[in-house]
Amino acid sequence: MPITDHQEQKPVKLRARNLDFSYGDKKVLDGISMDIFAEQATAIIGPSGCGKSTFLKCFNRIHEVSSEVRVAGDLEIDGVDIFRGGIHEVELRRRVGMVFQKPNPFPKSIYENVVFGPKLFGVRDRDILDGIAEESLRKAALWDEVKDRLKESAMSMSGGQQQRLCIARALAVNPEVLLMDEPCSALDPIATAKIEELIFELKKEFTVLMVTHNMQQAARVSDYTAFFWLGRLIEMGPTERIFTNPRDRMTEDYISGRFG
Amino acid sequence: MVRHFDSELQDLRDGLMAMAGQVEEMIDLSQAAVSEGSSGKAEEVKAMDRLVDEQELKLDQACIDLLALRSPIATDLRLIASSLKIIPEIERIGDHCCNIARRVPYIHPPILAGDALERLAGETRGMVRQAVDAFVNGNAELAREVIAADDKVDVLYVQIYKDLLRIMLADPLCIERASNLIIVIKNWERIADQATNIAEEVLFILEGVNVKHPYLHQPEG
Amino acid sequence: MNLMQKPRMRMKPQALARWTDRIMRCVLWVIAIGFIAVLLIFVGAILKQGWPVLNLGFFTKMPESLDAGGGIKPELFNSIYLVALSLAVSLPTGIGAGIYLAEYAGQGRVLRFFRLCIETLAGTPSIVLALFGMIVFVQTLGWSFSLRAGAMTLALLNIPVITRVTEMSLRSVPPDLKEASYGLGATKLQTILKVLLPYSATGILTGVVLAAGRAFGESAILVFTAGTNVSSRFPDFRLTAPGESLAVHLWYVTSDGTLPDAREIAAGTAAAMILVLLILNLGVRFIDYRIRKRTR
Repeated sequence: MPITDHQEQKPVKLRARNLDFSYGDKKVLDGISMDIFAEQATAIIGPSGCGKSTFLKCFNRIHEVSSEVRVAGDLEIDGVDIFRGGIHEVELRRRVGMVFQKPNPFPKSIYENVVFGPKLFGVRDRDILDGIAEESLRKAALWDEVKDRLKESAMSMSGGQQQRLCIARALAVNPEVLLMDEPCSALDPIATAKIEELIFELKKEFTVLMVTHNMQQAARVSDYTAFFWLGRLIEMGPTERIFTNPRDRMTEDYISGRFG
Repeated sequence: MVRHFDSELQDLRDGLMAMAGQVEEMIDLSQAAVSEGSSGKAEEVKAMDRLVDEQELKLDQACIDLLALRSPIATDLRLIASSLKIIPEIERIGDHCCNIARRVPYIHPPILAGDALERLAGETRGMVRQAVDAFVNGNAELAREVIAADDKVDVLYVQIYKDLLRIMLADPLCIERASNLIIVIKNWERIADQATNIAEEVLFILEGVNVKHPYLHQPEG
Repeated sequence: MNLMQKPRMRMKPQALARWTDRIMRCVLWVIAIGFIAVLLIFVGAILKQGWPVLNLGFFTKMPESLDAGGGIKPELFNSIYLVALSLAVSLPTGIGAGIYLAEYAGQGRVLRFFRLCIETLAGTPSIVLALFGMIVFVQTLGWSFSLRAGAMTLALLNIPVITRVTEMSLRSVPPDLKEASYGLGATKLQTILKVLLPYSATGILTGVVLAAGRAFGESAILVFTAGTNVSSRFPDFRLTAPGESLAVHLWYVTSDGTLPDAREIAAGTAAAMILVLLILNLGVRFIDYRIRKRTR
């Protein structure tokens, strides 16, 4: 059973059961069992190399692009197995969007960045694309800042704007889940605050699973917090509980900065 | 950085201990003042209260600073948040001691037979000491004992209260001393309540569970 | 005392570092200016000698074999046509191979052999390629000295260059762009076409220009495969036509010695080649600038 202590009203969106994961011979995840609830923000914290980013990336199989990996155990989205349930990885990635650590807009215009996804799936109609672009940029709280310069290069934006553009780009394919891998680690506090505010809004509509090194950020934006250590899930629970009264000594030491 | 934070937390604990020590001394003094009828000791108690008030201000500020600068979480957070609640409890104990000291001129010669008054004071003093020890040593068992001991104090209080009522009914000349004594025992009983509150905060620091108002956690009916 | 000495001790290495910095900067400036000077003198000398010859007639007349006053019209045409033909073969092949190596190939033994082949082909002296082209295309396939034999052999010269520059450019695309594309549900092919190739376009373009320039100036290969004659027709687009290029013409007139004005013709031809290369490079820089401006 997953290590959690709260009876959530929302359905389980993503489910991991006894998930093992290795890069070649190196075991990165060891028997992770965890439920991630729909329309909630779940934060994963833990020291570098604890496997939290790997776990995140398992959900849209993006790690398979560049490395030889071995996976054992079950990973489900809406109860359907991600590896064996007949979901093609391209379809999976459309349903499970991802925002990366470093803002990574394409060296194209702001507009082209947002409609990149929809165009891949064959949307050609200019009006529809325009609508998607506006809606996604609005959801990413970026529309008012860029509506007059959609044709300008995304590279001319600030780091925080670029990251929100990446969020808009991910939203444009209308995903169900948003994976965020330390989305604010390259941003200044003001840009970070904007993204956090955004995550707060987004979780009303999407399931958000994020990795963060910033404990306060996990505390500020997430409903659930999971602590990973050496590839294992040590503790997961409602964020308030984890931050006021963690059950596990290691969680306590980590979040209060006494680790090691 | 964490080491520095830890030493700041230790400073807070030490400050609380010092303040509690001061108050324990006030308890001893006011008990002695009551039993000896010493107005000199009573004056000493009132003088000490000023020191306690000063410490309260200092420790309050220390807690606020730690919250603002260190963003404490988990145990650290519970320690500081509970300290913010323990500090006024200790300060109130000092105030109760002053109230007792103020009654000293009006309760002599004694009208109560037996040692019930001493037992009440001793029991209360023991609770305060145990509550402080539980805080200092992180001893949850001791804290639970304090909470349990409160009932004993309440029983003693009611018993003395009834005795005093009886004395007043029997001899109207005793009414002034008896009513002042009622104020004294009420203050002892209040001090025992403060000790209980401190013990409850200690349990929250140690276990993260709020044990106040247990009736709220029971199923209805 | 001690306090007085300490700051001076600390100043010393700083001053030293500053001086090293200045000296190194001077040295590098001298080297850079030296190179530019050599280049300018070289180009200047060629243009100075060729300038009197360069007039409209020179570019529009057919060459003479015995009399003075011949032009280079068909040679100029053949040079450009040959480069275009060879690129038509080497671009798809080279870029395709580069994409394969960068994105599809694994780490196997076959692949290492394939890589070795490309490296070897890239390092093959052009005279060896020339003889290979003559034996295979001219003789075995019976294409005789023709544009098609020349273009095919030039393509052999260019394919490894284009393959390598394509592979390198694709590999230099930041992996997070690739991840972004896959993360949005793009397939591998979509990622290559819509993200990787546009991003590495300027790199590949630079490589292609280098390859085209090399093909344009190549003589040994073309002497043995495209021949030293030109078609009597103009313009002759037939692939079977003989295809003497500018570089071959330059070599031919100076070594043959039957032309009374061989020196002038050679100087003019050299100057014309330099001009064409200059225009080619400037044009590509302009395109490159436009691409960069649009994307970055």
